[in-house]
Amino acid sequence: MSAAISQICISDEEKEILQEIMNIAFGKAAADLAEMINIFVELSVPSINMLPTTDLPGYIKSEMLGYNTISIVEQNFWGKFKGSALLVFPAGAGKELITMFECDGESSFATESMDILERETLMEIGNILIGACVGKITELLGDFVTYSPPKVVIENRSNEIIPKNLFNPEYSAIAMKTVFCFKDRDINGFLFLLTSHESFAWLKGSLVTFMEQYE
Amino acid sequence: MSKKILIVDDSPISRKMLKSCIPKDNGYEFFEAGDGHAGLEAFKEICPHITFMDLTMPVMDGAQALEEIKKLDKDAVVIVSTADIQVKSIEKVLGLGALLVVKKPPTKESVQDALNKAIEVLG
Repeated sequence: MSAAISQICISDEEKEILQEIMNIAFGKAAADLAEMINIFVELSVPSINMLPTTDLPGYIKSEMLGYNTISIVEQNFWGKFKGSALLVFPAGAGKELITMFECDGESSFATESMDILERETLMEIGNILIGACVGKITELLGDFVTYSPPKVVIENRSNEIIPKNLFNPEYSAIAMKTVFCFKDRDINGFLFLLTSHESFAWLKGSLVTFMEQYE
Repeated sequence: MSKKILIVDDSPISRKMLKSCIPKDNGYEFFEAGDGHAGLEAFKEICPHITFMDLTMPVMDGAQALEEIKKLDKDAVVIVSTADIQVKSIEKVLGLGALLVVKKPPTKESVQDALNKAIEVLG
């Protein structure tokens, strides 16, 4: 076991608590998105994996089998809980999702080029989902975070070329993954949350505190 | 007579959280299942008075399990306990015959309110 992974070992029970907290957070994120735009989001059971960030490109690739070209929206967050959220979409999802932001069939971005539109749509969806999700996790665990603006870090590129330096090497990582299925649009989005080493001790303690109310 | 409560949820932690919100001194008898299909089988075997049902589960999701339970017993008292708080999801399960929806994470108050309503319906 590498040093990075050994530092972020958690017990099965802690993993289950974190998984349930993620489940609640992803539910909140889906509800927020559904409220803002008229879409129904089908949720999947979240999964948690421990891995060094250098392994993330391969991990994302393996989780995105069937999607050769992808886009990634990244948003960082800071608090006691510190890390990065990555929302990964198959290529073309942005174009498909653009219509959700149109009112009465009128594009509200009529003067924008399609590339800009697609990028802005992905960033807006990322902002809503990541903000609601991370916000709920930190609320349940008694923290408060601030966010960087979302940015599209990979745009319609082959998943073979996700650069290893995209991910902060300090964020040897709990990869929390869920699949958002935008049911009426036949689009899947994959959300990964990566946390830093320094968040980890806090996270473990917070999980214990969270469960104390249920003892 | 003690009431039988079936908790269907794929997360053991979630089942524990829900159970801890139910008063201990009311003589409830608890049964648990880890997915919708297991929940349906448990329902047939146990005939619980009250079923708490999660929605997002592997094998068979909670909405499907609820639908099947209602086919077996249209008067079955099923309380949906879920993190999926989208309006459409809530409308769907209420349409399928769920008594009400308790949002996760559960609280003693939200679970007690749900139980009070269930007991009222059971008569």
